[in-house]
Amino acid sequence: MRPFDYLTLLQFLWAFLSILGFSVRVNLKGPKIWLLALGGGLSWAFYLVILYFSKSLLYSIFGATLLVCAYSEVVARLIKVPVSVFVTCSIIPLVPGSSLYYGMQAYIAGNNAIASEQIYKALLISGTIAMAIAVVSSVTNIIFRLFNRF
Amino acid sequence: MNTFTIQETTEISLEVGRILLQSGATTNRVELMMRKVCGVFGYPETEAYVTPTGIFLSVADRENKVTTSIKRIDNRRIDLGKITSVSHLVGEMEKRHCRDGRCDLGAAQFLEQLHRIEEEKTYPAWLTVFSGGTTSGFFCLLFGGSWMEFVVAYAVGVLVVLSLRLLGKLQINNFLINILGAALVVSFAKLLDIVVPGIKLDNIIIGGIMLLVPGLSFVNAIRDSMSGDLVSGTARAVEALFIAIAIATGSGVMLKVWELWGF
Repeated sequence: MRPFDYLTLLQFLWAFLSILGFSVRVNLKGPKIWLLALGGGLSWAFYLVILYFSKSLLYSIFGATLLVCAYSEVVARLIKVPVSVFVTCSIIPLVPGSSLYYGMQAYIAGNNAIASEQIYKALLISGTIAMAIAVVSSVTNIIFRLFNRF
Repeated sequence: MNTFTIQETTEISLEVGRILLQSGATTNRVELMMRKVCGVFGYPETEAYVTPTGIFLSVADRENKVTTSIKRIDNRRIDLGKITSVSHLVGEMEKRHCRDGRCDLGAAQFLEQLHRIEEEKTYPAWLTVFSGGTTSGFFCLLFGGSWMEFVVAYAVGVLVVLSLRLLGKLQINNFLINILGAALVVSFAKLLDIVVPGIKLDNIIIGGIMLLVPGLSFVNAIRDSMSGDLVSGTARAVEALFIAIAIATGSGVMLKVWELWGF
C-alpha cells in the first residue's frame, strides 16, 4: 500500500520532531507540545496521502490545511489553548520555504523562467493555505453561533 | 473583598493587552481579553480597539464618565507560551477570583501575577538553542536530506539561533534581523560545506530558512481579516510579505557573495 508505508511514517516523524523543536522555541510548555507536534506531523502526512491520490499540489495543500485546522479547532478548545497558537504550529511544514529558496537561487543564477515559476508557486501555496484557514475559522464561527441559538 | 477604581482597571487591562499583543496574539483575542478584564472588575461598558502597533481603550463608569487610554506597542517578540498563560490568568479571574465587580485579590496582586508571567523563563537558553537545531535538522530530513546533511543542518540551526539571540540584544528591527538570519544560514552552510565532504546544500539551507518563515504573522493576518479587523489583517499581511522578501534578499545576496568568491 503505497501512501501508508514506512516512508510516509518516517516523514510524519520528521515533521513531528521539527514542530516539537519549534514549539519549544516559542516557549510553549507542558503536555500540549506533544499535541502541537502531532498537529504538525499530521498536516504533512495528510498532504502526502492526498497528494498521492489526487496528484494535485494545490488540492492536497488545501485538503491538508482544512483537516489539520479542524483538528486544531477541536483539540485547542479541549485543552484550552488559543486556537491561533495551534494553527500556527500545525501549518508550519506546509509553508513554502523551499519554493522561496529555489526561486531566489534561480534568480541569482539568471534563470528567470524557473525563478518566476517558483515564486508563483510560493504565492499560490500561501494563498491556498490562507483560504483553507479562512474557511475553517468561518465555518467554526457559524457552528458556534448555531450551537448557541438552540 | 476589593473593588477597583477606574485607573486600576485601565492599568491592568492595558497590561494584559500589551503582553498579549507583544507576544503575537490575534487582534480579536486581545480585544476580547481586555473587555473581559474590565467586565470582571465591574465596568461592562468598555470599548477596546487594537492594532498591531497600539491599543485604545475606553472604560465608562456607572455615571457614564468615560476614561480613554492609549498605549503604543513596540518590540514585538513571538512567545506563544505567554499568550496561553495570560489567557489562563484572565479565565481564572473570571471564574474564581471575582464576582459582581468584587475580587478577593487586589490590583497590586494581579499586576504582580502579570509581571511574573512576563519575567517567567520557561526553558533555559541552551534548550531553546538546541530546539532551533532540531527544527532545522528535521526539516532538512523532511525535504529529502541524508543523515550527514541532517547533522550539518542541525549545526547550522544551532549556530543561527544562537547568533539571532545575540543580535536580538542589539534591538535592531525585525526585517534587518531576518535579512541577517537568512544571510547567516547561507554562510554557515557554505562554511560547513568546506569542512564536510559530499553534502548538497539545498536541503540544509531550506531547513535553516524554515526557522525564519513568518508563519505566525501569516496565520494572524488571515484570522484577523476573517474576524473583521481589516486594519490589523492588512498590516500583518504586509509584515509577512516583507519578512519573506527579507529572507529571500538575505539568502540571495549571501549566495551571490560566495559564488563571486569562488565556492
